[in-house]
Amino acid sequence: MRSKKSLFLNALLVLVVMFAFTAQAYAGGKVYKIGMSLAITGPTSDAGNPYSKGTEDYFKFVNDTKILGNDTIDCTIRDDQYKTDVTKRNFEEYLEDGIVMYLNYSTGSTLGLKRDFDEEKIAVLPASYHAGNLDGSNYIFLPIASYSDQLVILAEYVAKNNKSGKAKVALFVHPSAFGRGPVADVEKAVAAGLNIELVEVVEHGKNLDNTAMLKRLMSKGVQYVISQTIQSPVATMIKDAQRLQLSASSFGEAGKFTFLGAHYTGGNDLIALAGKAAENYFWTTGFNITSVKGAGTEAQLALAKKYGRDQKAADSHNYAAGIMVAQVVTEVIKRAKAADLDVNRANLYKMLNQMNGGNAYKPYSTSGPVSYSKTDRAGVDLLQIYSVQNGVFKKVGEPMQSEYMQKIK
Amino acid sequence: MSANTWLATGNFFTTYKQEQRTFLTSLDRTFFTFFLVILFGWPLIFELGNKNMLVIDNILIAIVAVMGLNLVTGFAGLISIGHAAFVGIGAYTLASFSRTLGDSHVLITHFWPVMIILSGVMGAVFGAIVGLPALRLKHLYLAIATLSFQMIFEWTIQFFTFFNQGQTIYIGRVAWLTGQVGRKDHYLFWYFIILTIVVLLGFGIRNIMKTRYGRSLVAVRDNDRAADAMGMNPGLTKVYAFALAGFFAGVAGALHAYVYRGVGFESFTLHESIGYLAMAIVGGLGTLNGSFWGPVAIKFLDLQVESLAEISGQYLPSGMNIATALKPLTFGLVIVLFLMFEPRGIANWWRITKSYTKLWPFRY
Repeated sequence: MRSKKSLFLNALLVLVVMFAFTAQAYAGGKVYKIGMSLAITGPTSDAGNPYSKGTEDYFKFVNDTKILGNDTIDCTIRDDQYKTDVTKRNFEEYLEDGIVMYLNYSTGSTLGLKRDFDEEKIAVLPASYHAGNLDGSNYIFLPIASYSDQLVILAEYVAKNNKSGKAKVALFVHPSAFGRGPVADVEKAVAAGLNIELVEVVEHGKNLDNTAMLKRLMSKGVQYVISQTIQSPVATMIKDAQRLQLSASSFGEAGKFTFLGAHYTGGNDLIALAGKAAENYFWTTGFNITSVKGAGTEAQLALAKKYGRDQKAADSHNYAAGIMVAQVVTEVIKRAKAADLDVNRANLYKMLNQMNGGNAYKPYSTSGPVSYSKTDRAGVDLLQIYSVQNGVFKKVGEPMQSEYMQKIK
Repeated sequence: MSANTWLATGNFFTTYKQEQRTFLTSLDRTFFTFFLVILFGWPLIFELGNKNMLVIDNILIAIVAVMGLNLVTGFAGLISIGHAAFVGIGAYTLASFSRTLGDSHVLITHFWPVMIILSGVMGAVFGAIVGLPALRLKHLYLAIATLSFQMIFEWTIQFFTFFNQGQTIYIGRVAWLTGQVGRKDHYLFWYFIILTIVVLLGFGIRNIMKTRYGRSLVAVRDNDRAADAMGMNPGLTKVYAFALAGFFAGVAGALHAYVYRGVGFESFTLHESIGYLAMAIVGGLGTLNGSFWGPVAIKFLDLQVESLAEISGQYLPSGMNIATALKPLTFGLVIVLFLMFEPRGIANWWRITKSYTKLWPFRY
C-alpha cells in the first residue's frame, strides 16, 4: 500500500516537472546570450566586483519585468582576475556559446583582444575608457568619454577657474597604458592653446610615502595635480598632502595643491580610503552618483535593494557603470526587435551605430545621453565634475564636453 | 637482459650502449608510440572547442618552459627565479620583428619555424649572459641575480616605446601548406605544432642527459668541486645550463606569442616566474617527466581555484576580498605541501607506479 502511494506521488511529480518544462517551452521567448569578463577577484576587483553586480542586477531586472517581452537575456559573467590570458579564454568560451554582444573590462585585455573583436565582428563595451582602444578598431564602443577627454576637461576647468596667471599643473599617472594613454592628449591640448603649464608627469610606483614628490612639485610651483590612475595611490598622495598641510581648502588656494582626477580615481571608495583628506577633491565621470539625489540614482538604489545588494555596492559609481552597459545592451536589443530585425551581432552593431541624434539613448545611470555613430565611439560625451564637500561628492556645475578634445581630434 | 625484451621485468645492462638506449624495453617503446598516436590523433576524432584547445596549448607551452627550467634548476641545481623573463625574451624577439617589419610580414607569417628557433637562440644568448654571475655566485646569491634580470626585463619592456610600453604588440596569422591558418583552426594548428616541439625537445633532453654534457650538469649540481677535479669546467657548465634553459624559454615565448597572436607584458612577470618554479617543484625537479606533470597539475589546479574564487567572489562581501586571496593561498599551500611531503614531486608517484606495475604480481 505504502509503495503504491509512493509510486503515485513519484508519477505525479514527474508529470508536474514535465508540465513545467513544456509550459516554459511554449512561452516562446528567445534567449539572447551576452558574455562579460572582468576582474571580480585580483587587482582592481574593488571596481570590478560592483561593476559585475550592476550588470547582473540590471539583466535580472530586464528578465523579471519583461522589458523584452517573453525574450530574455542570458548574461554569463566570468572572473578574469585582470589577466588578458584568462580574458581571452573567457571570450573564446562565450563565442562558442553564441553570444551576440560582449562586455569587457581592462585596458590591457581590450587592447589585447581588439583584433579578435574585429575578426568576429562583435560589438564590445569595455569598462576601460582608454582612447587607444578605438585606434584601428570598428567594434569597440566606449561607454563614456575617454580618459583623455576626462583629463582635458579637468585641465580646462583648471584653466578657467585658476585665479591668477597660467596654472601650473602636474599629471600623476598609473605606470601603464591605462595611465599614460591620455598624457599625449593633454600635451596636445596645451599645444593647441589650453592655458595651463604642464610642469611634470609623474608615473607613480607602489610607494607609500609621497613626501618627496609633493615637496618637489611644490618647489616647482605646481598648484594642481590631475590624476589618471586608481583610487589607492591617489588616497596615499592626498593623505600625505594633508599631513604636510599642503592640501588646498578651496579650489586653487595659493601655495597649496588642488587635487583632481579621472573616473577610476574617485567615488566613494576614495573617501573610504582617504577619509578627510579627500575633502575638496575634484573628480570627473560620466555617471550619476548616489550622493547627488535624482531620479536616476533613486532607480539605481532601488535596483540594488531589489536584488539584496549591500549599501557599499549600491552607492558605488562602478555599480552604476555596470548598470549602464547592461542598459545599452538591452536598448540595442529592444531597438533591433522594434525594427523587426534578428537579434544578432551584425544587427546589434548596426543599432549601436544608429544610436545618435534623436536616437541617442538616455539611461538613468549617466550624466548625459549615450550616442554612437561610425565616427563617434564614445557613448556619454557630457562629463560631470564632482567635488568632495563635507565627506560626500557634490556636483560642480553642469555636465560639459571638452572643448579642446574637439580641436585636437 | 632478458632474451625476450617484451618480458623484461628489470633493467640488466651488459654494455654501455644498452644503458644509453632511449627505451629500455620494447614494451616501453610500444607504450610510448601508442601514447603519441593518441596525443596526435584524439583532436581528429573528438572536436574540442577553441576555449579548451587554448587551455591545452597553454599547458603545452608551459611544459616547454618548465623543461628549460628543469634543466637549469633541476639537473644543474641553479635556482632561477627569472624564468618568465627568458620566456619574455623569446616573445619579444618575435614582437621586435613585428614592430620593425609589420605584424604580417612574410618572415613572421610564413617563416614561423625559423622565428621560433631564432627566439630560442635569443633566449639562449640572454640565458648565457645572465648565467655569467653563476661563475662567481651560488645558491641564494645566484637566485637574486636571476631576480635582478627579471626586474630589468620588466622595467625595459614597460618603459621603452619600442616595446609599446608593455601594451600588446600584435602578431599576424601564420600560413601553412593549405594557406593562412584561420581563426577556426588556430588553436588546433598550434596544438599539433607545440606538441611536436614538446616531443622533439623531450627527446633532446633525454639524449643530452645521456651525453657528457648532460652528465656534467648533474655532476656540477651534486658537487662542483668534485666535478672540477674530474676535469669538468663547472663555470662553463653553469653558463651552458642557463643558455640551454634560455633556449627552451625563448621557444616557449615565441609559441605564446603565436598562440595569443600578440605579446603583452603581463604574461612575463615575476608572478609567472614563480609559477614556473612551482610547476617544476610540483612536477619533480631533476626529472624529465616532472616537466610534464607539473604544468598539467598546476594549470588544472589554477582552473579549479579560478572557478572557486569566481563563485565565492559573487557571494562574499566585496570589501573583504577573500576570493582574491584564494588563488595565491592555494598556490602557496600546494608548493609547501609538496616540499614537505613529496619533495620529489609527482614524478616520484609516476616512478612508484611504474616500478609497481613492472614487478607485479611480485612485491620486489
